[in-house]
Amino acid sequence: MATDVMIEASGLTKRFGGVRALDKVSFEVRRGEVVGFLGPNGAGKSTTMRILTCFISPTTGSAKVSGHDVFDSPLEVRRAIGYLPQRAPLYTDMSVYDYLRFVAEIRGLDESAFKSRLKKVVEVCGLAQSLGKDIGTLSHGYRQRVGLGQALIHDPPILILDEPTSDLDPNEKAEVLRYIKQIGKDRTILLSTHNLAEVEEACARAIIVSKGRVVADGALDDIRGKTGRVRYVVAIDEKRAEAGNSAPSAEAARTALERIDGARSVKELPTDESLHKFELIGPQNSDLRADIFRLVVAKGWTLLELRRDAQSLDAVFRDLTRGDEKLDRGAGWKASEPEDDEDDDDSTSDEDDDDDSDEASDNHSSARKA
Amino acid sequence: MSPMLTIAKREFRSNFDSPLAYVVICLSFFALGLMFFMLQGGFWQADRSSVERLFEYAPMGLSFLVVPVVTMRLVAEERRSGTLEMLITLPVSDSDVVLGKFFGALGLVLVLVLATLLYPFGMFKWPWVLGPLDMGPVASGYLGLILFSAAATSIGLLVSSLAESQAVAFFITFFVLAALWFFDNAAQYLSAGGNGGWFPTVLLYMSFQTRLSGFWRGLVDTRDILFFVSVTLLCLLVAFRALERRKWA
Repeated sequence: MATDVMIEASGLTKRFGGVRALDKVSFEVRRGEVVGFLGPNGAGKSTTMRILTCFISPTTGSAKVSGHDVFDSPLEVRRAIGYLPQRAPLYTDMSVYDYLRFVAEIRGLDESAFKSRLKKVVEVCGLAQSLGKDIGTLSHGYRQRVGLGQALIHDPPILILDEPTSDLDPNEKAEVLRYIKQIGKDRTILLSTHNLAEVEEACARAIIVSKGRVVADGALDDIRGKTGRVRYVVAIDEKRAEAGNSAPSAEAARTALERIDGARSVKELPTDESLHKFELIGPQNSDLRADIFRLVVAKGWTLLELRRDAQSLDAVFRDLTRGDEKLDRGAGWKASEPEDDEDDDDSTSDEDDDDDSDEASDNHSSARKA
Repeated sequence: MSPMLTIAKREFRSNFDSPLAYVVICLSFFALGLMFFMLQGGFWQADRSSVERLFEYAPMGLSFLVVPVVTMRLVAEERRSGTLEMLITLPVSDSDVVLGKFFGALGLVLVLVLATLLYPFGMFKWPWVLGPLDMGPVASGYLGLILFSAAATSIGLLVSSLAESQAVAFFITFFVLAALWFFDNAAQYLSAGGNGGWFPTVLLYMSFQTRLSGFWRGLVDTRDILFFVSVTLLCLLVAFRALERRKWA
């Protein structure tokens, strides 16, 4: 294949009746990338994956997988992918071995190829003990493994995994993620989840969808920086101070920190040590650490901790997808209803929301190019 | 092996993974035996070396019990449990899925149908020879039964691919097949006074019972063959469309 783009979605829109489940979703996944597909429940992750696996068709827009159009050549597309649908629906009346064999037969693997792949898959997914068991008797975690096993049986170049780690215990999760990382070296993997820690562990890139739209797409670090703020944690000893100075009260320390140029929303964090701990937010692309340090020295206080975080992915995720939650709780109904018939970008129409989300959607178009 | 055959094989075998198939087989043979030997005087009273009664009653057993039970889960259950998504996203075309399921289910029905060969052979060839049996009507009777099974199975498959749950699929298939069977009686009732008009004629034309009765007597009419084949193809085609519908719903 001439191109390196393994999955290409352009302008995917899907309506279910009057509901727009996907709205012009576009992204690309290149060979060898492990991409986390993130979003709250109902954001359109599974719908997108079903379109990519040719289970359903988009209302408008097109997608190519491994160079084949999902509409024109679904069989070629499906041959190139291994797909694990959400919750791993399997034939519960079959044994694990029979099931894997069934899948291999449909995929046209011959006896010897099946044998060697089976060995590999059993090893990777930890199925040796359960090969002879009926799938119906297995726990959810094991079913998930079987589902993963069937997706891998033909050694596909592209894997599409819809919440592969749901229903797994922490050990199994770690194991699956480790495996995804390992096979992701020479394969293309698109994996959906709403667990951010998993994305941070296994993926280098993430696509965040919310209400059927892509709200962020890029390297994890880019996405973290997306909301345009940096978080600092400062801890100051509440008892000790340099000779001639008094130990700071919480109020005094907070006022002093607020006076730092660029600092905003200084917040005291709870702690059970004898210190004052503050969180403050600073502008992106700047570093307030030197200012904070100098301030503390000038006051004669004792600095116990000073940390600068790019914002956590968790917080970015919440920021970018905040509208969903509000809708579910019944707020913002009026604000979002007319949104159905327009196409402007700042759909996150929350009254009390500051300009973060707008910044975010501006940023993401640039991140997508990157 | 083509994907279609693989699906058919799985479908066929899955019947034997649950007790349902065994129960249905036992029940239907028990019922057939009762009807054959007891109902309306029974086989012995008729006192003829003929198994026409078999061909008369077997389709009823198939219509009212076997086909609805065998076909009800085909698509409805897979859609409900989500395995349909798993199946369709394998490299199989929708027609592979429809045909695979059709042949898988038809396979089980035909096993039952062919098991009734015990009647003509057991009673008239070996170990008992109750009289000289004309094998012509037996052969044509089985041909009719096989064609009927295909049509009934395709109807069940179609209903299953439209129904929300297998219970709904069972009842709808049951009623459709029962209606198609009793159209014959309804037509006779309506035209009893000799002034039924066109409606009884149409009913008679569609009645499975009327269509089959020729086969029982050794009459192989191409119109009847064509009728069953057309019903089968039409239902499979609509089932295929029903399965495709998921893409656009």
